[in-house]
Amino acid sequence: MKSFLFLFSVLMMPPIFASAAETPDDELAEERRDMIAAIENDVRDTARLINRESFSERVMDAMASVPRHEFVPERVRAKAYENRPLPIGRGQTISQPYIVALMTDLLEPRPGDRVLEIGTGSGYQAAILSRLVSDVYSIEIISELGEQATARLQRLGYDNVSTRIADGYDGWPEAAPFDGILVTAAISHIPPPLVRQLKPGGRMIIPVGTRFQTQYLTIVEKEPDGSVTTRQVIPVIFVPFTGGHQ
Amino acid sequence: MRPVGASPPLVVIFLLSATALAYEVLLVRLFSIIHWHHFAFMIISLALLGYGVSGSLITLFRQLCLRRYGELMFINVLLFGISAIGVFLIVQRMPFNALEILWDSSQWLRLFLTYLLLSLPFLFVANSIAMTMLRFDASIGRIYGADLIGAGAGAIAIMLLLSLFEPQTILRLLSLAGLAAGLLLLRMSGRRSLSAALLGAAAVLVILLPSSWLELRLSEYKGLEQTLLVDGVGILDSHSSPVSRIDVVESRQIPFRHAPGLSLQSPSGVPEQLGVFVDGDAMSAIDRGGVGTGPGYRAYVSSALPYELGRRLDEVLVLNSGTGADILQAAAYGSDSIDAVEADARLTKLISDIFADYAGWPAIAGRVSFHAATARAWAASSTRHYDLIVRGVPGASSGGAAGVFAFAAGFDLTVDAIEDYLAILKPGGYLAITLWTDTPPKGNLRLFASVVEALKASGVGEPGRRLAWIRSWNTATLLVKQGDLTDDEIGRIRDFARTRGFDLAWLPGIEEAEANRYQILPRAYFHEAAQALLGDRATDYIADYEYDIEPVRDSDPYFNDHFRWKSLPQFLALPGRAGIAMIDAGYPTLIASLLQAVAAALVLILLPLLFLKRKASLASGSRLHVILYFTAIGLAFLFIELSFIELLTLIIGQPLYAVAITLCLFLLFSGLGSLTVQWLQEKGFATAVILRSSVFGILVITLAYILLRGWMTEHLMSLPLFARILAASLFTAPLAFAMGMPFPLGLTATSRSAPALVPWAWGINGCASVLSAILAVLLSMEIGFHGVMLCAVALYLLAWRTLPGTRAT
Repeated sequence: MKSFLFLFSVLMMPPIFASAAETPDDELAEERRDMIAAIENDVRDTARLINRESFSERVMDAMASVPRHEFVPERVRAKAYENRPLPIGRGQTISQPYIVALMTDLLEPRPGDRVLEIGTGSGYQAAILSRLVSDVYSIEIISELGEQATARLQRLGYDNVSTRIADGYDGWPEAAPFDGILVTAAISHIPPPLVRQLKPGGRMIIPVGTRFQTQYLTIVEKEPDGSVTTRQVIPVIFVPFTGGHQ
Repeated sequence: MRPVGASPPLVVIFLLSATALAYEVLLVRLFSIIHWHHFAFMIISLALLGYGVSGSLITLFRQLCLRRYGELMFINVLLFGISAIGVFLIVQRMPFNALEILWDSSQWLRLFLTYLLLSLPFLFVANSIAMTMLRFDASIGRIYGADLIGAGAGAIAIMLLLSLFEPQTILRLLSLAGLAAGLLLLRMSGRRSLSAALLGAAAVLVILLPSSWLELRLSEYKGLEQTLLVDGVGILDSHSSPVSRIDVVESRQIPFRHAPGLSLQSPSGVPEQLGVFVDGDAMSAIDRGGVGTGPGYRAYVSSALPYELGRRLDEVLVLNSGTGADILQAAAYGSDSIDAVEADARLTKLISDIFADYAGWPAIAGRVSFHAATARAWAASSTRHYDLIVRGVPGASSGGAAGVFAFAAGFDLTVDAIEDYLAILKPGGYLAITLWTDTPPKGNLRLFASVVEALKASGVGEPGRRLAWIRSWNTATLLVKQGDLTDDEIGRIRDFARTRGFDLAWLPGIEEAEANRYQILPRAYFHEAAQALLGDRATDYIADYEYDIEPVRDSDPYFNDHFRWKSLPQFLALPGRAGIAMIDAGYPTLIASLLQAVAAALVLILLPLLFLKRKASLASGSRLHVILYFTAIGLAFLFIELSFIELLTLIIGQPLYAVAITLCLFLLFSGLGSLTVQWLQEKGFATAVILRSSVFGILVITLAYILLRGWMTEHLMSLPLFARILAASLFTAPLAFAMGMPFPLGLTATSRSAPALVPWAWGINGCASVLSAILAVLLSMEIGFHGVMLCAVALYLLAWRTLPGTRAT
């Protein structure tokens, strides 16, 4: 029976979690540079699929300046700068940095723009946008997440981000029209109110796929004459196990 | 403590086997709810390796098992009862996330622990049976018979239990059933006090276990769990059945707005809705108020196309009617007589009974007839002809990766199915099928190819003249007319698409510019495919496409399997392993399951050899024969059983009945076959003679089935349910009877020639069965069910030539 007892003791071992050790800032700077390098690498690898050779300098600067580790839970903080999505609890994820950068780049943000985000999540995407446009409006449907993200964004000084806990379907009519809209929720159809709140010439980005794998992005474009088209890009990128430090 | 006299505790074996099979089915159900079906399949397949572990353990401790049979038997039965519920409690608390498995290496450790834990109950049951065979080697036929008949009873019992109780309650009941087997064992033994006290204590613990501990903790990434996080959301109704758990959810503050592919030009919004989740995912909706004053938003989804062609569509057949979206669409457009076919009766009950008032059911009840059947069974048996046959989009999965249903066989969209649907269309009638789109497209292209093939098979010279294909942002509707489309209809289709911002993928006379105008894809995939599939390049196009889009038939009904080996290097060569995301999840899951099972099986089969090597008396020929024989029959049994389950599902038409009846018949008659082996041996028939006869029987019946299946399907599907079940039973019973013989024959022969190898043979058979369940699915995807059955026949012939002891003696 000893073998059984040994087996049981092995089985009862607690699951292994990532270390949540505090990391010095200079080390984080290095990790952040690695993350940027990993994103640039991915852009080159997927240039044909996403129809661009590089992301704009402004977008990459924003990616380099926002402290991603502040937007993930303690238990996965050690992996904050890996080029991979991370679970942030409550079935939510913080997207892979490459996808965040791609979505932001596809939005083609300009300094004076007003942007709406549907699905605040951890607030990371809103923080990136806040460095690129004049006003960010972000809506979260789950109150607990929305409250946490609001507090986090305030603490970190992202003052041009307004948040709201509400249904993203109806958009934010008081702040409309928007130059760009980012939707991160799973949807069965593109909400007409959001299209109405998009400025002519503006664009909306919708990722499609599972929470850990964005398979394609849909870009909704509103032409100056008000007509609307959608366009798909396939950004598939996948870096299992090794994270972004390659 | 010793079991009574020289006879094996057959009743205990019967009860244990019944409980273990019920437990296996229950675990698949539980893990399909908690995670997703393909992961449930993988987890439970691997957990069944407990049977293989048992063989190795008993081989190593054979003498101990013989000497302390009574005590060890009781301990194993007791541990089964406790672990059946215990391991589930532990596994539920382990934070395993199936979606993150390719990103996070720690998930593999958790998955491995899940396998280990879940294999324990099966290990204890297998130990009990194997030890009994070892201890009562003159009664192997009877013991195996009791094992199989018990499992057959378990198959029926679990279907009944799943119809009556919540899965968590059944878990408690099965645990108690395991402990009851212990009680039976005690009644057959001498000393009772301590053992009885242990059993009693365990039973009390199981009964008193707080219900909250057993509550299912669904993956937080499933749609239902996500929805429940929203303020003001509550479950109004929850019901479990053998096929699904259905939750109806109300969102009081933030309304559901489920309208797949709704046009951006829709002037109407989506009404208030209730969300309906199947197994915590696959969301669909029930609209408040039903039809209302007109089609409203339902005129602005791609599935509205047939209603906008200027014809009155009085008689409509809605396939897989689910929560009624397509019924409401037909009713809103004024159809007078709607037949709605849905195999899951609970979904029908939701709209016509439980939430009838909410759904505005009374207003249309007089126009709708419900039929609890599969689409195929109805199409094959219907004497009515329709103006329109509709098959709408399935529920929306929130977290499941593409391709997770790759190995779920389905007969609704095979070429044979489409032929059946076309056969019950009135002249000039329409068949309209709507699917979700993906990029690059897979299922939609296969559907188009299948329709073209079905039309050609029906003698239509120019299928393209009968087809219209449009796509929205995320759905595509293929319209097939029983006759050529008229100029008026073509004009209306163009108008419909233009006013809603939908693109044309195919229409007689389509121009390139119409194909990729509003919903712009990287390439005009749909249109390119339509042109190729309707032209001379169809074969080359299908062969060259990166996914498998070849039409599927009833003998190979994996509509959602698009994996192609030849595309694998191309995907994997993409920089940054980008291509992994382009591979459907289902097929790799199967491959991963197979690799893990092969690795585990090799260890479990080879490990005891290190011990057995020391025994000079065992010739290597004996071992080789044992390996070949028990591997062959282990693989072959499930190859045939699983192929029959799938194919009889088509004939019987009710998946639930089909699985329960086929499984029960197979196990029951195999058990009788095994008991007959015992009787024949006692009458003096030689083992080799009985084996030859049984293999011959299997060969003849299987070949006859393969030859007659097409005829049977065509003629039986239109018979009443009872007649279909009877006909299926007539084929199954004699085949299963013959298939129940080789295992006890082999074990008896091994017991005579090399008794030390008996538990090892049991373990090999267990490992082979696990491999077989996975291989059967993989092979059937490649070579179809008939091919799998032929492989099984070949394996039985191999077994006939390698009966243990034949060379050694």
